[in-house]
Amino acid sequence: MSASTGLATRSLRNIRRLPSAFIPALLMPVFQVVSFSGTYAGVTQMPGFPTDRSVNWYLPMAVTMGASFAGLGTGFSMIRDLQTGFYDRLRMAPTTRRQLLLGPYLAAWARALIAVVLVTLVGLALGARPVGSGLGMFGLVLAGVGMATIGTGWGLGLAYRFKDMRAAAIMQLTLFLGLFLTDAQTPIEVMQGWLQTVARWNPLTRVLHVARMGFIDGLGGRDLLIGTLVMAGLAGITWMFALSGLSSLDD
Amino acid sequence: MPPQSSNAPIVARNLVRTFGSGERLIRAVDGVDLEVAAGEVFGFLGPNGAGKSTTVRMLTTLLRPTSGSATVAGFDIVSEADSVRRSIGVALQDAAIDPLMTGMELLKLQAVLYGIARGEQHQRAGDLLERVGLSAAADRRVGTYSGGMRRRLDLALALIHEPTVLFLDEPTTGLDPMSRLALWDEIRRLNNDGTTVLLTTQYLEEADQLADRVAIIDNGRIVRDGRPDELKSEVGAPTLLITVAEHATSAAETVLAQFGESRPTAEGTLGVGLRDGAGEVSAVVRALDALGINVEHLELRAPSLDDVFAEATGHRLEGAS
Repeated sequence: MSASTGLATRSLRNIRRLPSAFIPALLMPVFQVVSFSGTYAGVTQMPGFPTDRSVNWYLPMAVTMGASFAGLGTGFSMIRDLQTGFYDRLRMAPTTRRQLLLGPYLAAWARALIAVVLVTLVGLALGARPVGSGLGMFGLVLAGVGMATIGTGWGLGLAYRFKDMRAAAIMQLTLFLGLFLTDAQTPIEVMQGWLQTVARWNPLTRVLHVARMGFIDGLGGRDLLIGTLVMAGLAGITWMFALSGLSSLDD
Repeated sequence: MPPQSSNAPIVARNLVRTFGSGERLIRAVDGVDLEVAAGEVFGFLGPNGAGKSTTVRMLTTLLRPTSGSATVAGFDIVSEADSVRRSIGVALQDAAIDPLMTGMELLKLQAVLYGIARGEQHQRAGDLLERVGLSAAADRRVGTYSGGMRRRLDLALALIHEPTVLFLDEPTTGLDPMSRLALWDEIRRLNNDGTTVLLTTQYLEEADQLADRVAIIDNGRIVRDGRPDELKSEVGAPTLLITVAEHATSAAETVLAQFGESRPTAEGTLGVGLRDGAGEVSAVVRALDALGINVEHLELRAPSLDDVFAEATGHRLEGAS
């Protein structure tokens, strides 16, 4: 077992021992898919709305959010480890800084897959129906893993810099702003004013399109390519953000 | 004087660490020089906030020095940090241990982090738990351990990769006397096996009992260092402590000044280093009696590390923290 998998195993074991730290992050997207697809059932009557099932529209957004929470969850855990001093023990080990970072990433991916599967099952039970080929479901998983990766780097980077609950507040605020200033609620075409401009340029809109490939007609290979490039770019930037934050602990 | 071996496991030269800037600049460590020889137990003695833990955090690669240099196990603490980490074991002040994990799980994780072969991990973890008397609690979550058990587990964690240099940052702070004695025995055993130990403490007795040499640090600077018996003999004269009625304090001070230099003491007590030794006690009592000063309490103390500390810093360590 490498240092990274050892750290990931610890993180996953702690889910079972401290479920209260993980379950809320899992319930939130489940609640969203249930409430949004019910409350906004009428949105499908809107001219040009790309599906006749509201749950098909909201399920990918909830999955993406659940996966993001899985990533940010590692940031919350990191704050606890920094505050208790446990992270000093890890920093004193002769492992590379990259291995220390990779551990939480592995844990976040495993957590994200739990969220992706659970929220998808709830969505399917509520009437979501996949469209097109199996590539669409791949897109949903890819977007989930991508958002978990981005969320992990962002969460860890903030945790290393603030070392306290201020980081948690910023993580949540930026996640909600980032995801809701996309076409999460309604298609870009029906938005107006600055919201439309922001949603069009918000890179997370492209990630949502990847997640929706299996549930909305009209999204295809080009959306997959652009969304994947966006996720890779953001994952790289947030990895560097986390790595420099880890290095700053020595100062 | 510290040994002048260039192969010393711990060498620090003019180590400085500051925090903040401008008017808020704090020099937590202000030019520390030290050299710890192989196989030594080195005591780093000082009150809270003196700079002990900051020095240890630099030597264990957790904190970059502002200036100066240091090597541990022959490796530079900045440019060869990974090699330093491979060579040292560290038990930090707060025994930071994940309370959700069991003792066995923590030791196995530590074994993984130090690259110990998978086949050896369980065996080594079991051996260490037995060594520190925690075999029965191996599969209990650490959150249920007492303070003493956590300290012993912390020590076991520091030993998983059989380090040649061990840093113990206030290992017995907050422990009951029995747990403290048990930990002292373990530290002696480790040292007898050849491990070099740097121990920070604010307990004089701990330094006196365990350390081959001590350095006294105050306000970020080492103010004395040497063997405990040498340092105590440098202080020289035994200290006579007396308590008199408050109105007679000034007169008593004048009398005591005839027999030696005043020594810092706890409030309400007068202290003098007897220039001509313990034989002067009766003369002091007679002199006080001649002035009608009634002695309420009298105590003669051989020089202690606290006297060394007091002489070096102008204040006492005992009872300061």
